[in-house]
Amino acid sequence: MLQVRNLRCGYGSLEVIRGISFHVAAGEIVSLIGANGAGKTTVLNALAGLLPPWSGEVRLQGKDLSAHPPWRRVLHAMALVPEGRQVFGDMTVMENLLVGGYRNPQRRRAIDDSLKLFPRLRERAHQAAGTLSGGEQQMLALARALAAEPRLLLLDEPSMGLAPRLVGELFRLIRRLRDRGVTILLVEQNAVAALQISDRAYVLETGDIVMEGLAPDLSNNAEVRRAYLGKGYKEVWE
Amino acid sequence: MNVFDRPYETMPRADREQLQLERLQALLARLRRNVRRYRELLGETRLASLKDITQLPMTTPEELADAFPYGMFALPLREVIRLHSTLGPAGRPLVIGHSANDLAHWSRLAARQLIAAGVTAHDVIQISVGLGTLGSAAGFTLGAERIEASVIPEDPVHIDYQLAMLRNYRATVLVTTPTNAHAIARRLEQRRIDPQSLHLRVVLLTRPIPPAERETLSAGLFASIRCHFGIPEILDPGFSVECSAGHFHVNEDEFLPEIVDGELVVTTLAREALPLLRFRARQAAELSEESCSCGRTGRIIRPGRRLDDRLLINDIPLYAAQFAEALAETHAAGRSFRVECDERGVVVSVEVTDGLFHDTMRDLAELKSRIQSELHIRLGIDAAVRFVAPPSTPPS
Repeated sequence: MLQVRNLRCGYGSLEVIRGISFHVAAGEIVSLIGANGAGKTTVLNALAGLLPPWSGEVRLQGKDLSAHPPWRRVLHAMALVPEGRQVFGDMTVMENLLVGGYRNPQRRRAIDDSLKLFPRLRERAHQAAGTLSGGEQQMLALARALAAEPRLLLLDEPSMGLAPRLVGELFRLIRRLRDRGVTILLVEQNAVAALQISDRAYVLETGDIVMEGLAPDLSNNAEVRRAYLGKGYKEVWE
Repeated sequence: MNVFDRPYETMPRADREQLQLERLQALLARLRRNVRRYRELLGETRLASLKDITQLPMTTPEELADAFPYGMFALPLREVIRLHSTLGPAGRPLVIGHSANDLAHWSRLAARQLIAAGVTAHDVIQISVGLGTLGSAAGFTLGAERIEASVIPEDPVHIDYQLAMLRNYRATVLVTTPTNAHAIARRLEQRRIDPQSLHLRVVLLTRPIPPAERETLSAGLFASIRCHFGIPEILDPGFSVECSAGHFHVNEDEFLPEIVDGELVVTTLAREALPLLRFRARQAAELSEESCSCGRTGRIIRPGRRLDDRLLINDIPLYAAQFAEALAETHAAGRSFRVECDERGVVVSVEVTDGLFHDTMRDLAELKSRIQSELHIRLGIDAAVRFVAPPSTPPS
């Protein structure tokens, strides 16, 4: 579905992503885990076209996207749920969804479908998005991306700032989306939860991918456990 | 078709090359971070395509032996939960470390070979491999457990005992060395035992043998004979999978093979504890891209001869240096010798000067038995010992 080769990008003269390659096959949930500042969000922004890559190749279903602006990438069925939700606070829930589906001729049906997933949003369809709770805003950000009927969904830290109970609910929902045929690239600091729902994962460390593997393998990896899962410090006995 | 890990074993070439590039880049990042030798060698080298691998430094078995025991490990020792020792160049010790994940990978890779050989969860697998190949017994045990077959890891002690086990446990699969398989087949014939009275279905051999030999064994044991090709310094079993067409497909999702001047050079793509970059396997081989009816897409490797002085005696890997060490314990210390091996056995010819020939027969016989017992104790082989005159110098 998505193939990235030797992607380099950064801000100003600062190289943040130093030539990474990864892929997401159709129907997979792949997560990109890493510590703060590893460059996870930068990767997603580069994929969505918000940040021009310095070099490298991004292919979606075999098509080279490098030269396409973000709005064209949406046409290629890729949608980003940005970090920190970034819903349009002054607009109503429904207006937010319409913006999300702006380029989708089938948006009415798509919006209807996504509201079925989030009944809470239907109740608040005409309420300003800024008045929603954090969890509801996250749901709205997701629903807004789904209004474009993406085949590849890029999720940036969806669990950030959510209560643990909501995190569980959100991840179950991500699984359900996958079961409905949406391929998902998930960027998460919450590595435990991310690895639990993922098929495969990549570990990003200061701009380099240092490991690739099946999610259960990575959750058994000593380095990953120590660095991201908060385990292992007690086991040090030298 | 018997494919254990279909997504990886039958991965289309373009996808596989993408995965290999990803894993190679991640490997370089890990090596730079965790192994001093590679950090110094690699510097900031980055790789944009698989073809550029030729620009990376190679790793020789000698370097691995120099770093013995833990110098090349990419993980702290407490994460390395299995250590397998093997012999490297000139008989120097090498240690192959495995993390928990390495063992999980190994079990899947070994399972690929077992499944390809037609083994199922309903089989009883007797594993009896000999000295110096314990590592491969461990690998096949992991693989057998992964496919949930019943497994009997066993010391290859006396043939009669092995036969008794085959009968008592009604093993359907035997994993063993060609030497041991021949010994069992011979014993069956000597005792006039019908091989069909055993329940063997598949015999999986630890190294490739020629087709004619396969047929002999297949008739002698009344089972289909399958072979495996692995490299102990890298992974054995697990490096390749022999399919039903008799081709050895490299497990290319985990290993990146190259042929450099006829020598096999392997990069481990997924290993955690002891990742190797462009390891020179001291093994002649050919790689072929041809497609195979079994559906596996890993390139086909045709192994050739060893490129170092390693001998395989009754399937025990031995280096000349080990013979010298054994001889050093006797009066024959420091003399030149030659080791020959054929199907009848091993002959060690020790060159002796006239002075020693003039010794009494008794002295010579004593020396001979001393050498034989040293070889038996140290190397586990029974060898015939001959005394020969040094090659005569032409008269001046």
